[in-house]
Amino acid sequence: MLKIEDLHVRVDGKEILKGLTLTVPTGEVHAVMGPNGSGKSTLANVLAGRPGYEITAGCVTFQGRDLLALAPQERAREGVFLGFQYPVEIPGVNNVYLLKAAVNAARKHRGLEEVDAFEFLTLVKEKMRLMRMEDSMLSRGVNEGFSGGEKKRNEILQMLVLEPRLAILDETDSGLDIDALKIVAHGVNTLRSPERSLVLVTHYQRLLDHIVPDHVHVLVKGRIARSGDKSLALELERRGYDWVTGEAA
Amino acid sequence: MTESRTNAATSRRVADEYAAVRESLPAGVVSRERRQEAIEALAARGLPTTRDENWRYTNLRPLEKARFAPAAADLPQPSGFGLPAKLDGFARYVFVDGVFAEQLSSPERQTGLTVRSPQRGRPLPVLDSLPEARLALLNEAFATDTATIQVTGATGEPARVELIFIALAGADAGTSYPRVQVSLEPASRLVLVERHVSAGAGANFVNCAVNVEVGRGAHLTHYRLQQAGARATWIDTLSAVLAADARYGLLAVNTGALSARSTTHVQMAGAGAELTLSVAALGDRQQVQDNFALVEHIAPRARTEQSFRGIASGRARVAFNGKIAVREAASGTDSRQSLRGLLAGPEAEIDVRPQLEIYTDEVRCSHGATAGKLDDDMLFYLLSRGLSPEVAQRLLKWAFLEDVVSRIELPALRRQIEHDLAGQMADAASLKELL
Repeated sequence: MLKIEDLHVRVDGKEILKGLTLTVPTGEVHAVMGPNGSGKSTLANVLAGRPGYEITAGCVTFQGRDLLALAPQERAREGVFLGFQYPVEIPGVNNVYLLKAAVNAARKHRGLEEVDAFEFLTLVKEKMRLMRMEDSMLSRGVNEGFSGGEKKRNEILQMLVLEPRLAILDETDSGLDIDALKIVAHGVNTLRSPERSLVLVTHYQRLLDHIVPDHVHVLVKGRIARSGDKSLALELERRGYDWVTGEAA
Repeated sequence: MTESRTNAATSRRVADEYAAVRESLPAGVVSRERRQEAIEALAARGLPTTRDENWRYTNLRPLEKARFAPAAADLPQPSGFGLPAKLDGFARYVFVDGVFAEQLSSPERQTGLTVRSPQRGRPLPVLDSLPEARLALLNEAFATDTATIQVTGATGEPARVELIFIALAGADAGTSYPRVQVSLEPASRLVLVERHVSAGAGANFVNCAVNVEVGRGAHLTHYRLQQAGARATWIDTLSAVLAADARYGLLAVNTGALSARSTTHVQMAGAGAELTLSVAALGDRQQVQDNFALVEHIAPRARTEQSFRGIASGRARVAFNGKIAVREAASGTDSRQSLRGLLAGPEAEIDVRPQLEIYTDEVRCSHGATAGKLDDDMLFYLLSRGLSPEVAQRLLKWAFLEDVVSRIELPALRRQIEHDLAGQMADAASLKELL
């Protein structure tokens, strides 16, 4: 599904990713963990195509295609989804309109007709119940006046409606209380399937209690310093990042 | 030629053109004496130039070529226009080149409402002495008709009136002079929709003057839509006086004309008066949308809320100069200004300028003014959901205007305006589907 090879990325002239290599096969859930400043969010943003990141070396293929050659909207239409760490508020742009525009953009890309408005609304409301969101949120501006937890739930709602092939969730657990974390994790779990891959970018192990990953990678100073199964996350939790950063240094 | 010499030449031409047509101008609309006074006042003050602080952003060039004599309204058949859909419950009065067109109108009897025309309007009660209002003197001198609206008595439901001013003649055939006099007697209520449109693709020259009096405890909701043709020059002066506890909600959406200048002067003359002044302006290509608004707080405890949202694309210039003056006796004034401009093109220009003059203590005045580009984070967020850059940008521009558009309390009118704005921003159907 996703293959990252020797990726070097600079931000404002400073190298943040320094030869990152990572393969995520179809149907697997991978967690990328790491201390602050290790390059986790940079990785997520580069995959989604955010401007401001200079790729100096390496390549990323998504389903055999050169992902870095695609514009952000093309990546989205091909089935790449980024769950933002800090979802922006867009007052005046209606939530349901954005969802519909996003779904239709992807459908058009695949040569499909626009979604039926009634069926679409029914589907969205069903997903909203799953995310324990009030229907009234639909008619509000995108993330407008939402609490931190509501914003994250809205990200997952969008993901559930868009049904991406590859979802990258950037610190989706940050700022969530335990109840919200469970709701978010439940939403993510419903999307796990043999055709879909997930990359969970997180600082803490606790999200992984609820979304159990197939593989865990530790990102230190712009490189994968260590990979393992879910037990690696538990060990990290116990011993702290110093354990890996010490080794990597 | 220098601007001042051109200006002097134009002033002379105004006087000459007036002398040539004065005998034919209807004395019932404005008396001969008043017309003469207006011509003399204009000669004494001179026409504005872009060196005048509050005319810096106006495109005054069209004045040089304008023919000031009124266009002779050649009334066409009703089918000749694609008039906007009629608003339910509104009495409609249509004017073509500033003259009442009965065959296009659909008057409606409403309790306490009097709408008078043709040519029986009374003179504007106050000749606004504000220097920024001086182009209204041209209207005063050359006026051909007046829409006079008078509302009396406290009725449960507000009176509802729609005025449509159609500019038909090209500038070489003369100027179109829309003219409105609105008086609300104490405790009365009115919802007024005032539209300015063009028929055909002519380069119209429109000079509009509106005078508003809101009596004690009366309530006026006033929507003004400037949708003049793409080659039109549109000049507008609105003067309003609010009595004690009067409420005036003025909402303007300016999308039309090649060069537009709107001057608004509101006097908070009675204690506890309330004004909400909201303006949305959209400029594209070579358009100039210039707005000047002065709100004068004269009496105590009045409140003003002023909002502006403007978007400049292409090589357009969009300006809002909003001044709030609080006079000595106006203690307890509460005024808020929120002026925001959005620059949507590398060659476009946005000028937002809040000005505050306070001559008393015990006031609460706040203002915020920003001019900027589309937010990159918002843009990326929309792209990351698969929207094309064009749709994403359009959507964000749309959202930017929402602060003003969402204040339109008439659903049917709001939909019409949203369609107009969507059409202005793009021909793509992708945005219209949200309406």
